[in-house]
Amino acid sequence: MAQLSVVPQRAGRDEALALARTLPPPGPVPGRYWKIDLAKLGLEELPAGSVSARFELSEAARHKGVVVCDLLAAAPEHASVISGAQGSAVDWRGGRFTALNAAHRAGGLFIFLPKGVVIDEPIVVTQRLEGPAAFPYVLVAASEGAHATIVTRYDPAANLELVSEIVEIVALERASISYTAVQDLPSNVRVFWSRHGNVGRDAALNWALAELGGEVSVGDVKSTTLDIGARTSIAGLFFPSKRQHVDVQSEADHPSAQTQSETIFKSAAIDGGQARFIGNIRIHPSAHGVDATLRDDALLLSKDAHIDSIPALEIGANDVKAYHGATIRAIDDEELFYAMSRGIDRHEAERMIALGFFEPALVRFPTESLREELRAALARKIA
Amino acid sequence: MASGLNVSDLHVTADSVEILKGIELTVEPGRVYALMGPNGSGKSTLAFALAGHPGYKITRGSATIDGEDLLALSPDKRAKLGLFLSFQYPAAIPGVSVANFLRSARTAVRGSDLKPAEFRALVFEQLDHLGIDTSFLGRYVNDGFSGGEKKRLEMLQLAVLAPKYAILDETDSGLDVDALRAVGESLTTLRGGAGKDTGFLIITHYPRILQFVEPDVVHVMMDGRIVKTGDADLAHRIEAEGYDNIRDEVTSTSLGTSASGTA
Repeated sequence: MAQLSVVPQRAGRDEALALARTLPPPGPVPGRYWKIDLAKLGLEELPAGSVSARFELSEAARHKGVVVCDLLAAAPEHASVISGAQGSAVDWRGGRFTALNAAHRAGGLFIFLPKGVVIDEPIVVTQRLEGPAAFPYVLVAASEGAHATIVTRYDPAANLELVSEIVEIVALERASISYTAVQDLPSNVRVFWSRHGNVGRDAALNWALAELGGEVSVGDVKSTTLDIGARTSIAGLFFPSKRQHVDVQSEADHPSAQTQSETIFKSAAIDGGQARFIGNIRIHPSAHGVDATLRDDALLLSKDAHIDSIPALEIGANDVKAYHGATIRAIDDEELFYAMSRGIDRHEAERMIALGFFEPALVRFPTESLREELRAALARKIA
Repeated sequence: MASGLNVSDLHVTADSVEILKGIELTVEPGRVYALMGPNGSGKSTLAFALAGHPGYKITRGSATIDGEDLLALSPDKRAKLGLFLSFQYPAAIPGVSVANFLRSARTAVRGSDLKPAEFRALVFEQLDHLGIDTSFLGRYVNDGFSGGEKKRLEMLQLAVLAPKYAILDETDSGLDVDALRAVGESLTTLRGGAGKDTGFLIITHYPRILQFVEPDVVHVMMDGRIVKTGDADLAHRIEAEGYDNIRDEVTSTSLGTSASGTA
């Protein structure tokens, strides 16, 4: 019972650690704008701390059989669900920090939604991260027809330096999962994340990701639409300031016909903030009738800020709808003049326009109180 | 201090081309001035230059508001002194709701003089005058607005800010009959209430809007200068005759013989 394959075995951990020490670090090659060389930081050697979670789950949700608990504790009862879901979305061998996560993580957080269970109140999870290195792992298994909204936050210990996170979501037939992650860690922390989900027949997976904190945030989000009628939205915002570096990749992967995706990212950079966004729509040759859009807008708020925006389409089938659009710009002079002509001073006008710029991504976050919190956090970066 | 919006010998260039060539103009509180003229005569340049658009360079002359130098100030400070410009083509600000924008503008110009409930009441009353549904407040400023909706939002801001001096740049252009009536009635209501001391400079190509607001003074602008000044009859004459006769008169008198009269 105790040694289910919820984490790599001893030999697996050694292999993972060896991989973590040899794979190239993610993120852009250090150069003109990306100034941090991750290979030289020795992050792989930081001692692992612990991760624990606290969460809000209503009595009604518990009564319906919703499980939020430590993965190891859940293992005996949910063995088949866990073994089917774990590793199905993220291949930990794929990168230096996912391998590091596999080498060091202890258990993780398991969220299980039984068949047909619909939870209206968001399940809010706060993960306590003890340093120097923390390796959170989240596995969400949504059974047929289950609906839930999950919001994850971090609570960093003072000694935290490195976070490497893996999130895997499996949404079975007709399930609907909204997963929100807000990263507002202190400005010394290096954060790496891979958040992937598999979307079944007529199921939905909606991501809302905010990358606001950390010195470096490098991550990738991916939805794979596995069967007809699967749909996903990937919404994200990031805003590097004060020499923060952010590197985000998103992919809407469509191996199946008649599936949909909508990707929207809004990014701004200010005060030496550096970012790269690579957004991809991938439509496999047999995936007829896919409808996929990718919208990515970047706003530069100071001369020393930098954003690279790289949208891409890989289209293998011919009867599909796929659209992508990307813009990079500074604040528009006519918008600024218009606001100032109403008495609003330049600084406040810039702040208003920049916050408005984020709004199409912000509205994808699940509650008004969270949206207000994010607006305030974004506004502070312009202060 | 001299009250009024006073413009003297104003010369303005845009992209190194002189557009305004010595404008003399006074707008007194509570009075209505029409500034008419053919396309390209410099009317909108005057509006932008007075509001402080960075694309227009003042090369000579002065503009004061109640004795205070306008030209040294940033656009927001001009607004705080009581100047308002209703834009011919207002910019869209995506993601910023009309409600938030109105509130920010009112607070910037007037301070927090109204309680939220009072502010709401003021806005709702104006929405009613303008024939606008309250859902308008939740939309993003000018984002995807029709021409009529944009002009209604300009009038809504005018009413909410109740400035000392309002420049209306082609507020009547591009409006259908209903939108024109809504805008006109809004102006009439404003002048009967919070805007009774507001001095208006109404820039218009056609005199259509003037059927709602009888001007006290009508200026005609051509080639960067005010070439003729009269009362409301002058506007009626332009409506009947167009600008050609005035151009001919002016060309043969004040502009001298060097100007071409064939344009």
